[in-house]
Amino acid sequence: MNILFRHLIIQFKIDIRDNGTLMTYYFVPLLFYFVMGAVFSSVNPISRETLAASMTIFSVTMGAVLGMPAPIVRMYESGVLRGFKVYGIPAWAVFFIQGISTGLHLTIVSLVIFFTAPLFYGANIVVNIPAYFVTLTVLLFTMLAIGLLIGVLARSQSVAMMLSQVVFLPTMMLGGIMFPAELLPEPLRILGQLLPATYIMQAFTDSAYNLHTTLSTIPALIITLGIGFIAIICSIIRYKTIARSL
Amino acid sequence: MIETMISVNNLLKKYNGVPVVNNLNFSVQKGEVFGLLGPNGAGKTTTLECIEGMRKSDGGEINISGFNIQQQEKEIRKILGIQLQVASLPENLHPKEAMQLICGWNGQQVRLDLLKRFGLESLSNKQYGQMSTGQKRRLHLALALACNPTIVILDEPTAGLDVQGRAELHEAVRELKDKNTTIILATHDMSEAESLCDRIAIMIQGQIATIGTPAQITSAARRETRITLLTQNNSLLPGHDIGDAHFSKEKDGYGVWTSKDTANAVIALLNNVRHNEDKVIDLRVERPSLEEAFLDLIEGGQ
Repeated sequence: MNILFRHLIIQFKIDIRDNGTLMTYYFVPLLFYFVMGAVFSSVNPISRETLAASMTIFSVTMGAVLGMPAPIVRMYESGVLRGFKVYGIPAWAVFFIQGISTGLHLTIVSLVIFFTAPLFYGANIVVNIPAYFVTLTVLLFTMLAIGLLIGVLARSQSVAMMLSQVVFLPTMMLGGIMFPAELLPEPLRILGQLLPATYIMQAFTDSAYNLHTTLSTIPALIITLGIGFIAIICSIIRYKTIARSL
Repeated sequence: MIETMISVNNLLKKYNGVPVVNNLNFSVQKGEVFGLLGPNGAGKTTTLECIEGMRKSDGGEINISGFNIQQQEKEIRKILGIQLQVASLPENLHPKEAMQLICGWNGQQVRLDLLKRFGLESLSNKQYGQMSTGQKRRLHLALALACNPTIVILDEPTAGLDVQGRAELHEAVRELKDKNTTIILATHDMSEAESLCDRIAIMIQGQIATIGTPAQITSAARRETRITLLTQNNSLLPGHDIGDAHFSKEKDGYGVWTSKDTANAVIALLNNVRHNEDKVIDLRVERPSLEEAFLDLIEGGQ
């Protein structure tokens, strides 16, 4: 078995054994989905149109941006990366596999939402399933890239938490996930356009649900991917400094 | 023929422009257990990290088994087994998984026999974060040996271990030595160094203050040999200087003398006992310990 694949399996198990990771990857996002899904769909029936997409964006952002940086910083702080290095495990592989493993957990959560939202809350059924999953893949890539960037930038877990909140809270409030971005005042709407969630919500709405949006799928996905790539490039630059200091 | 496994020549390492290791020279032979001693901040860990390739030196040259650390780090990694002073593993990782990862990344068969050797077989499904300090140390040693290294570097391997844990680790080091593995051992524990090491270098302020076998280092100490004597009639008490033996004190009926010339001092004392028609009940001769020699060097260095 390829060592990367074996490492991924072990990392996946490590994540499952960690209570903090379980909370941010599974418990809180799914609890939020089950509670808020019921609230949104009864208070505002229009929210059912894109309920699966908005809850998926919430869950992926929470897992990747709030959940993933903490274990990365912990590995650096506690000497795990240093230990792995002397045993011949490269730090890039540790980061890469952490990202893929997180992506797998968040894919599971996304699938739970995708299959249960129409059943539990009468959410609209996705009309273009391939487009939905392409958009989900772009969402995962970009959010994991941002989570990785926060993880390699922060030198302590408290700093990581602060940086995560700087991304997470505006994403929830300004990204058009909880309520339509058109309802926001102009300055906040402009601010929201800095966030990948704004574009990914447009892509989901346009391609997967075939509903009206201000931006079509392709440019929305390109912008989101661009943000992801910028985050990856910044992470690589920062990683080189970390690798030297181990 | 003596084969040099590690040679350190004029090693220089600076932090913020201040040299912490300065013009360091030593070599380690194949199958030798080489001890690196010194007070905190002497530069032991920095020296080891330069040898391990974890830090780049600012000058000098390190050769390991014929490879240059600056140019052939990959080759060196294959023959080095390293136990760091401070290292960790993910809290939720099992020892068995750790072994699978390390062997896998190094293209080796998984060495579960090492977990058994270090008494970790029954803990192979216990999480790293739930293991005791001793268990963690043994796991790190097992992982350091996973790729059959010919050179092993141990940085404070027994720090924080209980008596049993230390004894087990000492036994493991002796086993490695029996297999002709070259070992560098950095430690604060003088008795450990004295019992395990073939040669010792004592570092002070980034330089080697002395190097030699434990016996050579202790015999070169400034301190004198202590001779403790109990006789049937206490004929030598109250004590006074006898020949080369200088009276030090009387304790519980024993007279204590010190001398630099041990043999002549003992002869002089025994001649006096015979002359007084007394009889020796107990005689102890204690050379300065490595710890005392170490303290002499530290005091001299300051």
